[in-house]
Amino acid sequence: MTRSRTKITAAAVLAGTLALGACSTERESLTAGLGEAADCTGPQARAAQQKYAETWRTAGEAIGLKGLSPAQAKVCEVDTGKFAKERPKGGYRVAIAAQGPTNAWALTNEEAFKHRAEQRGVDVLYASANGDVNKQVDNVQQLVAQRPDAMVVVPMGDAITGQVRAAAAQGIPVVVCSGRLGEGSGAVSTVTRDYELQGTLWAEWIAQRLGGKGKVAMLSGIAGVPTAELPKAQAEKIFAAKYPGIEVVAKQNTDWSATKAKTVAAQLLARHPDLDAIWSDSSITNLGVYEAYSQAGKPVPPVTGDVTNAFLKAVRGKNVPFALGSFPPEQSAQCLDVALDALGGRKVPSQVNVDAAVFTHERIDRYVRPECSDDLAVPSALPAGLLKKLKLC
Amino acid sequence: MTAGTPAAGRGRSLASATTLMPLSGLALVLIVGAVVTPGFYSGANLRLVLFQAGLIGITAVGQTLVLLGRGIDLSVGAVMGLTTVIVAAQSGGDADRLPLAIGLAVLAGLAVGAVNAGLVVLRGVPPFVATFAVFVLVQGAITAWTKGAAAGDIPKALQPLGSGRFLGVPTPLWLFAVIAAVVAVVLARTSAGRRLYATGSNPRAARLSGIRTGRVMAAGYLASALLAVLAGLVSAAYAGHVDAQLSRSLDLNSLAAAVIGGIALTGGRGHIGHTVIGVALLAVLIVWMIQLGAGAGGQLAVQGAAILLATWLRQRGTNGSGGGG
Repeated sequence: MTRSRTKITAAAVLAGTLALGACSTERESLTAGLGEAADCTGPQARAAQQKYAETWRTAGEAIGLKGLSPAQAKVCEVDTGKFAKERPKGGYRVAIAAQGPTNAWALTNEEAFKHRAEQRGVDVLYASANGDVNKQVDNVQQLVAQRPDAMVVVPMGDAITGQVRAAAAQGIPVVVCSGRLGEGSGAVSTVTRDYELQGTLWAEWIAQRLGGKGKVAMLSGIAGVPTAELPKAQAEKIFAAKYPGIEVVAKQNTDWSATKAKTVAAQLLARHPDLDAIWSDSSITNLGVYEAYSQAGKPVPPVTGDVTNAFLKAVRGKNVPFALGSFPPEQSAQCLDVALDALGGRKVPSQVNVDAAVFTHERIDRYVRPECSDDLAVPSALPAGLLKKLKLC
Repeated sequence: MTAGTPAAGRGRSLASATTLMPLSGLALVLIVGAVVTPGFYSGANLRLVLFQAGLIGITAVGQTLVLLGRGIDLSVGAVMGLTTVIVAAQSGGDADRLPLAIGLAVLAGLAVGAVNAGLVVLRGVPPFVATFAVFVLVQGAITAWTKGAAAGDIPKALQPLGSGRFLGVPTPLWLFAVIAAVVAVVLARTSAGRRLYATGSNPRAARLSGIRTGRVMAAGYLASALLAVLAGLVSAAYAGHVDAQLSRSLDLNSLAAAVIGGIALTGGRGHIGHTVIGVALLAVLIVWMIQLGAGAGGQLAVQGAAILLATWLRQRGTNGSGGGG
């Protein structure tokens, strides 16, 4: 996830800060504005809610945490009847308002989408935002003007909400992908890895490892960006409410830069030599933490975060305890599937928590790809040929 | 009319004022830091300050040479980023291929410096525009080349350059100290130094008195680019990996340090001592901000405020002494 948002413009930071104010209510509001087409209490909705809760349980069990469940999985079943459309002879045309290949995560994100589109015989209309939310506002407008059958949006910020609503009003089913939009976007579904789940996994694993007692530092990416703030807020809540014995001694930002993370970690090491664990939201940060501790000749404390091949390669065979949960770029394929479901007139859940790898240091050998690029998002679901073409393997 | 040109009376008092202001700023930050932040003077923290000072200082000396010649170099960050990417891509983490990779990085740096110099000297493009365009161009080239996915390992053999210590002091600071000392002597004692000050103070007069001002300015840009390559190597060696975040930022620390220290943006005024003080002040500020847990936004805001305050105070000082440029 970190790399997806690393190119942050000032506007996006601002938008993120604004979104933060509403983040506690965001979960409920996701379903607002769906209108009477959404069923939130019926048996089908309850089944969808159970399925959503199940993704939390399995993610937790992968790293030995029992019985995780979302605070409030208000998933609804959205009736997409009004979007249903006969499949044209040449196949559906689906637009994707992508981030643009500003980094490996984003590159993989859109390549996975195109790959899936090819498999399903879908014609792709593509627009790159180059990581900029303002550019994306134009992109969505231009894509809508080409009258696609459906649209997938990888949101760069809340500023595009109006355009997404306009698209939905014109009868185009929109799927929000690998991120979230605020209230009233009119999107039929939000398909992403759950940010609160990430924050929960990392916090609960640390609490379990420390036996509910110890000193913890929290390292987040860029202040104000939802990708950084949502997991952090969730983890803070968990530490404060469930684990009085855990003392959060420092909260710092690393800007998802390994260099800055190393400086921050060196400072932590000086000020809190007795640190028991580091809650981090990224393996880019963890790389800096590892460098700082190992150069100081100190054992690396347990760390958490998303997955990068660079970190796994660096700590393979070293004694570094960690628990990681990936934010897979390939989730865009699932976004396309949901969009196609909507075009087929099938009911779709208003929120989909995509599957993602969750593992600890004990299973590093299953996930590390020493022969591949540092930037490869592991585990990769893309075929070897495509990875080679993208110079990731 | 400052330290560079030994002037009498009023000129000397102005010179000491421009030195005093950043010095007192530094003292103030050091005191406030000690009061507000426990552990500010711990050994590990001081080493971080010294490392930062070394890294910023190497580029700030180059920036000073350009500023003294009435230029400005905004492409420093791009050259640093380019260096990291070249070293990672060419060496692939393999120490045997390191010399070749460094050679290529130096060539690339020289090319950037030459383009800057060519645009400014031969075509008369304003330095701000020329070097900013080159910055954008190099960023574009990096993004296209790496497909936005700058990544890779830096050979361990390079590590001492960034993380090593000699007599307890980080290597980058030693590098900075040596470079600053050499440049200080060149500026103060050699004809090359005098030609640079003359060119910066009054290019027309310098030209008329037989100085080839174009060459002088071009040398400044080339030196700045080469020092940026060195800083890129230091930064890469410190992190051990390509930092996609850093290779993308418009790193203006070198400019900020020189300006805070008292190097005039109008050319011809200031000496390396100013740069050293500015570097020290900026390094302390950066590390302190990190320690306070300020995000990137807070850090940039504080740095911006420091630059504004420094130039504003100096402006008042200049006006107050009744002289002007």
